[in-house]
Amino acid sequence: MDTRDERLVVRLGDVRKEYGATTALDGLSLRVRAGEAVAVMGPSGCGKSTLLNLIAGLDRPTAGTVEVDGQELGALNETGLALFRRRRVGMIFQFFNLIEDLPALDNAALAAQLTGTPARQARDRALELFDELGIAERANAYPAALSGGERQRVAVARALMNRPALLLADEPTGALDSRSGEQVMDLLIDLNQIGQTLLIVTHDPGLAARCASRRVELRDGQVVAEQSLDRTP
Amino acid sequence: MSRGAGAVWRASRAAVRRRGAQTFVLGVVVFCSTVAIVVALGLLESVSAPFERAFEGRRGAHVVASYDPAEVTAARLGARAPGVEAAAGPFAQAVVTVAGTSEHLPPGPLTVVGRPSPGGPVDRVDLWAGRWPAGEGEIVLDRPGADRFFSYLLGVRFAVREGHTFTVVGLASSVSRSAEAWVTPGQAAALGPSTAQMLYRLDAAATDADVRAGTAALTAGLPSGALLGWQSYLTVKRDAGRTAAAFLPFLTAFGVLGLVVAVLIVANVVSGAVVAGSRHIGVLKALGFTPNQVVAVYLTMVLVPALAGGALGTAAGAVAARPLLDDVGAGVFTVSIGPWVYAATLAGMPAVAVLAALVPALRAHRLPAARAIGAGVPAAPGRGARVQRLLAGAPLPRAVSLGLGLPFGRPGRAGLTLAAVVLGAATVTLAAGLSLTMTAYGQAAQRTGSVHTVVHAGQARNHQTPPRHGDAEIEALLRGLPGAVYVTADAWIGLHLTGRSQPITGRFLRGDSATLGETVVEGRWLRGPGEVVAPSAFLDKRGLAVGDRLSLSLGRARAETTIVGATMDGAADLIQADWRTLTALAPDQRATQYEVRLAPGADTGTYHAAVRAADPGLYPVPKSGTDPVTVAVIGFASLLTVLLGTVAALGVFNTVLLDARERRRDLGVLKSIGMTPRQVTVMMVTSMAALGAAGGLLGLPVGVAAHRLVVPAMADAAGLALPEFMVDVWRAPLLVPLPVAGVVIAVLGALVPARSAARLTIAAVLRDE
Repeated sequence: MDTRDERLVVRLGDVRKEYGATTALDGLSLRVRAGEAVAVMGPSGCGKSTLLNLIAGLDRPTAGTVEVDGQELGALNETGLALFRRRRVGMIFQFFNLIEDLPALDNAALAAQLTGTPARQARDRALELFDELGIAERANAYPAALSGGERQRVAVARALMNRPALLLADEPTGALDSRSGEQVMDLLIDLNQIGQTLLIVTHDPGLAARCASRRVELRDGQVVAEQSLDRTP
Repeated sequence: MSRGAGAVWRASRAAVRRRGAQTFVLGVVVFCSTVAIVVALGLLESVSAPFERAFEGRRGAHVVASYDPAEVTAARLGARAPGVEAAAGPFAQAVVTVAGTSEHLPPGPLTVVGRPSPGGPVDRVDLWAGRWPAGEGEIVLDRPGADRFFSYLLGVRFAVREGHTFTVVGLASSVSRSAEAWVTPGQAAALGPSTAQMLYRLDAAATDADVRAGTAALTAGLPSGALLGWQSYLTVKRDAGRTAAAFLPFLTAFGVLGLVVAVLIVANVVSGAVVAGSRHIGVLKALGFTPNQVVAVYLTMVLVPALAGGALGTAAGAVAARPLLDDVGAGVFTVSIGPWVYAATLAGMPAVAVLAALVPALRAHRLPAARAIGAGVPAAPGRGARVQRLLAGAPLPRAVSLGLGLPFGRPGRAGLTLAAVVLGAATVTLAAGLSLTMTAYGQAAQRTGSVHTVVHAGQARNHQTPPRHGDAEIEALLRGLPGAVYVTADAWIGLHLTGRSQPITGRFLRGDSATLGETVVEGRWLRGPGEVVAPSAFLDKRGLAVGDRLSLSLGRARAETTIVGATMDGAADLIQADWRTLTALAPDQRATQYEVRLAPGADTGTYHAAVRAADPGLYPVPKSGTDPVTVAVIGFASLLTVLLGTVAALGVFNTVLLDARERRRDLGVLKSIGMTPRQVTVMMVTSMAALGAAGGLLGLPVGVAAHRLVVPAMADAAGLALPEFMVDVWRAPLLVPLPVAGVVIAVLGALVPARSAARLTIAAVLRDE
């Protein structure tokens, strides 16, 4: 089932990002439609993570425009960006980035609680997601007691708590063994198939081939190739 | 410098530069604590040591005794007595009355002793200007020479009512306070001496009991009326240090609080530096630094700001203590802080800092290099997790519940910070209690509300217009002017207690004296002639009690009185009596001032104008509502509270700084999932506000207990008998807001690093991780 529509979730126009004398992104433009799963690939230092940070509102471009889910990020102050991240995007990281002091369920619930959702309601929503992700029985475990795959599923649950328009994944299988990596890939495919827009930064061609409907190749801060993909089973 | 030492120094210097904020905090903490301690130690030393030095250097008299020459012969007095190490005298002693015509000397009695020279085996008088009298009409006055202020008196001529005229040929001071002036023995004989003065140094004179026993031994076998009076050197010593001694208990309390807070915070700063610098430790070890060299790096890192803070704090403390020390010497001798105080603080405070650093530095010693480089020393997984789990379900904003759980992740650090806040809150509580006590004391001392205006009668010798009206007429005039409710006339007269050389002041009252608002702490107020009330300090100084008889002398006139009450006042040389008692001593004496209470709502300015219009020789002055001692104590308490509150807040600042540094990844994650900068600030401030609230609650009883210890000690040192309402100042309206002090300290300390944490760049943090 093709869940894509023509609504643009991401629109980058001529974006530049410089760190001192180093140019990380050099006039990059990119569009991602709703329901797409886009894999951003390229060698180390090509600007992949910088691109992800700009789309997530974690960093600001030196020049150009970044629009996500109809919101021009350049117009937002720090609080506005925080509210944007809270409501419009979910992020998963290579190293999971869970809070070690909180049990898995509370890690996920946290994202909803920050919006003012009462604790019980947030935990119910988190449990619902844990159930869907197959980790409900691990809800009370602390991150240190979870396997890598389980931790990444908790991170996915946290990212989905507020029903974001865009799910951003930064090397989501990079720190996992192959079996856990497979499970996470399946999870991302499932999410995209029910309409979740994905933008995945990865080195792994296998992940791109399995999860993405389009591959974008970066080099020296510029898009050098784009390719629509037929997902491999 | 060896190669190893050079490497340690370079590594330490780099560490100091890298941890600029923490280094600064450590330096400021040591600075503030050092200031408080120098002031306290300096005062402690000055209360006793300088007097002892001056007293021994001049072979001061343990006992200054006055004998009736009609009862005992000079030969008998000069005979060697048991228990006496050395004696001088007898010297003829007379009391003359300075005439009111002198511009430079106050009118009133002057105790003059005839001595052939300033030296001798006992009481070597310090002749600091001019020369010793050589003939008739020459006199040396007893004046403090510390700042040579009284040099202008040299050459002054003045007359006494007994018919003699003197020229001041010298200025001197006696550490024994054995006389107010000295003349030649021949001149003294011409003045008609009424007493013979003996000066004694006793074999045993360490305590009041020793001196009493020694004096009793001196007079054993003499006729009962032979000894007219005597004065112990311990009285003089206490008198000299009375002001500073009153300050000492609370300065010591503040000094101890400052020292403990400093140690806690230094320990916290350094242990935090070890944790935060664990990767650095690993790198140092990987580079070949031995464990001992790593310890040396961390100790040096602490020593640099501690030395700077200690040195600057010592200098600032010396400056802050100066005004108090000037009071201690009372002009009789110069007081300075001994070198040992500077040496102790200069070496001691850095040593305390290094000792506090030793335990966490030894952790660096033991930390394996691989572990340090690989993962740092994160909080043990799950520590504080149970609390966080409980709080996650609490019906609180999530930023608040997360903040409340943060201190449990580092219980040791939280404990040290809590202790610092407890002491900070205790300091605020102590200062608040002291301020209330001192305000109540000040109002009682100044008789706020009882007297609004003091009207002085003009005196020609002060280049003022004398009043047109007589004494009684003035009183009636003031009473009759619109607005006046009560009028009390009083005269301040220099007197002697019969047989004692040191003068006292008598305040004689006429009119509505019962309305003056004097605080009577024992006995009752005056009801008639032959009665006196005296401050408890006066009674303590002379070993007297309510009910005792007191013989007052003015020239040759005497009045026998009974002490009927003790007032709270700290004046150690003042008595108050009814006007009719003065009539027996000086029948022609006029009142020198009139104290007026106005009706509620009456305007002081209007009343003053009416007084001036009625008689230009009357000078009305509004009654001051400010007691200088109250102002000084509250001022010092406030200064020290600010210092220690700042130190405690810096401890909180440091803790939040360390927490934010260690939790950079968590902060980045929280911000990445939508925590706003305001929520980050709230979370970090809440983490310390919770500690602050706990610290405030715990600090309250500590502060109240300190107040309970310090106030009676201060009152005792100052010779004050404080009524209970001035000691028991703790009422519900005060007790409720005081614990907030802990929260204020915590929030002020946390705010800056919390806002800095809120500005953390997420991308950089997560990239670093």
